Amino acid sequence: MQNTTIKAAPLLEAINLSKVYEDGVKALNALNVTVREGEIYAMLGGNGAGKTTTINIFLDFIQPTSGQALIHGVNANELPLEAKKHVAFVSENVQLYPNFTAMQNLDFFVRLGGKSNYKRGDYENALIRVGLQSDAFDKKLKDFSKGMRQKCGIAIAILKDAPAILLDEPTSGLDPKAGKEFTRLIAELRDEGKAILMSTHDIFRAKEIADFVGILNNGELVAEKTRAELEGVNLEDLYVEYMAGYMDEVAENGSSLANNLSEA
Amino acid sequence: MFKLIFLKELRDIIQSSRFTISFAVCSVLIILAFVMGAQNYLASKAQYDAAIQENRNQIAANTEWMMVEHSIMLPPQPLMTLVNGVSNDIGRNISMSGRGELRSENTRFNDEPIFAVFRFMDLEFIFGIILSLFAIIFAYDAINGEKNRGTLKLCFANPVSRAGYIGGKLAGSFVGLSVALLIPILIGCALLPVLGVQLSADEWLRLALILIAGIAYFGVFLAIAITISASTVKPSNAFLIGLVVWIFAVLIIPRTSVLISGRIVDVPNVDEITAQKNRYRSQLFDEDRPKMSNFQLPEGTEMEDAMGVFQSFMSDLSEARQEKVDIFNARLNEDYTNKKRQQERLALSLSRISPTSAFTLAATELAGTSLTLQNHFMDAAYTYQESYADFMNEKTGSNRSSGFRMVMITTDDTGEEPDPLDPDELPQFTFESQDVASASQAGMVDLSLLILFNLIFFGGAFRAFLNYDLR
Repeated sequence: MQNTTIKAAPLLEAINLSKVYEDGVKALNALNVTVREGEIYAMLGGNGAGKTTTINIFLDFIQPTSGQALIHGVNANELPLEAKKHVAFVSENVQLYPNFTAMQNLDFFVRLGGKSNYKRGDYENALIRVGLQSDAFDKKLKDFSKGMRQKCGIAIAILKDAPAILLDEPTSGLDPKAGKEFTRLIAELRDEGKAILMSTHDIFRAKEIADFVGILNNGELVAEKTRAELEGVNLEDLYVEYMAGYMDEVAENGSSLANNLSEA
Repeated sequence: MFKLIFLKELRDIIQSSRFTISFAVCSVLIILAFVMGAQNYLASKAQYDAAIQENRNQIAANTEWMMVEHSIMLPPQPLMTLVNGVSNDIGRNISMSGRGELRSENTRFNDEPIFAVFRFMDLEFIFGIILSLFAIIFAYDAINGEKNRGTLKLCFANPVSRAGYIGGKLAGSFVGLSVALLIPILIGCALLPVLGVQLSADEWLRLALILIAGIAYFGVFLAIAITISASTVKPSNAFLIGLVVWIFAVLIIPRTSVLISGRIVDVPNVDEITAQKNRYRSQLFDEDRPKMSNFQLPEGTEMEDAMGVFQSFMSDLSEARQEKVDIFNARLNEDYTNKKRQQERLALSLSRISPTSAFTLAATELAGTSLTLQNHFMDAAYTYQESYADFMNEKTGSNRSSGFRMVMITTDDTGEEPDPLDPDELPQFTFESQDVASASQAGMVDLSLLILFNLIFFGGAFRAFLNYDLR
């Protein structure tokens, strides 16, 4: 009798996703990524690797040249309004409306996400959960630090209560303390069953919380490792090797860590 | 969704420091325009009343209607002071004569040339120059500013349609800023009666239409700024483009269209025409000179009748001359007027590609201070001339006109002083400004144009945003 594992249905799925810009630049090449309920998938890669392009296709900001981006099984580019009901987004540098208070920003974006039944208490709970002090609730966002704004951004995502979350370099520019708090929140959301696709340069946090790490280079997924596969591996070395364009050299001498991993 | 974006936009505008500063500046300027307009009106009215009284005194100081130098004046209207138009540029006085050409003289700028240099800060100036600029300042970063802040991306990470978003944004910006403008305007309106300016129902209606035109004009520049914002990436570029558009629309196109029409339609200048008229009059006089030199009393004329015969001879000559002069002048005037109107029509048609011109024309038509004001005043003067001529004929036995006249006054032998003239006997000159129906009809073309500009630029903003790169 075979021992089979029943996997949850994918909530975020890139199927052979390709994007070639009008000037011929190939931003994505047949990318396949799947993120299921209760999983965090971290996309690592340098500038221009295709991480943000992937997120932009999921949000229908750009159309793929070929392939599909599915959110909760809905094609994000064919039925974007339907697809976006099932996803929340936190950008690299959350810039909400500076003349609005935290509460007003939350209220606007949460309603925009389709939730209109929240009360002030719900907003307060979300802000407390992300670590904001109560005296900040009614302050204008222009007086907030970057870390506080990121917290507001994640509070909006929490309140939207979508099954999938897209994070575009969410810890970029945060101080270590704020970064740690942010990571804790992401892990909590994963534990609540959210499917999280995150683009990041932060190798350490990726290794710390991701269930899958995909390394993108020039629009191609050059490596994809599970948490178990990364145990005992220096992810930084692996990443640097891929990013430095050493792949050809690696293939020739067959002695690199990446090659060893591939064999493993 | 539309409502949510609309309300967000309202709140965003009202809570911004840009709005607070602009609102304060606009409020002060608008209220100032009303207060200054009211003061100007009251000063003009006092001046007008004094001039009328002076005219009456001058009549009352005479004992012979033949000696009266009567003038009529353009009465100041409250709306003229809120929307000056050409009211300060045209002559307010006309020296009345029983026949012949009438000419308006004594413009406001003749009296106070300093105002000709800097002009008045009326409602048309506030809307035409200041509020249009504020619209650009407010909305140049409406779309690309949100993109740069990252809020656009965050909004569209939600199930939001582009049409709903831009519709809500346009409507929210328009309503938010227009309502804010209406507050000082309504305060200004409420101040008018307090300051002593009483408007008739007709004038209130016309003022309301002027304000509607002003708000529509403001909407055009708001839509232009949003269109530019939705077509550019950098707010700084959008501001620069907006400023260039503003300069062309407000300053260049209206002036250039007048210059172009001046080049296309050649109109003889007034001095040239006056010289022609004078030359013809002199020529006729020279032709009559031998007749006057050779005048001889008919044989057997008694000495006591000699003066009467001579006066009758001179009067006949003068009448005949005047008749020819009138025909000649009428031909020149008609030619001049036709060409001038053709030039004006062309200039106005060309200038209407600028919303500023459309607004100026609509506002001045509604206020009764458009180019037609002078024609209207002259028409009223010529109508009055007929009743004045009848009156003078009745009182003096002749229809007095400019030119040579010999007057012989005799006294009776009773030694009593003759009675002074009663000014109330003279027919009263009345000037009725256009009624609201005629003014609205005249202003409707430009009001419709403003609405069309709104539709075009709101449509432009809509279209530009549908293709906008949200990343």
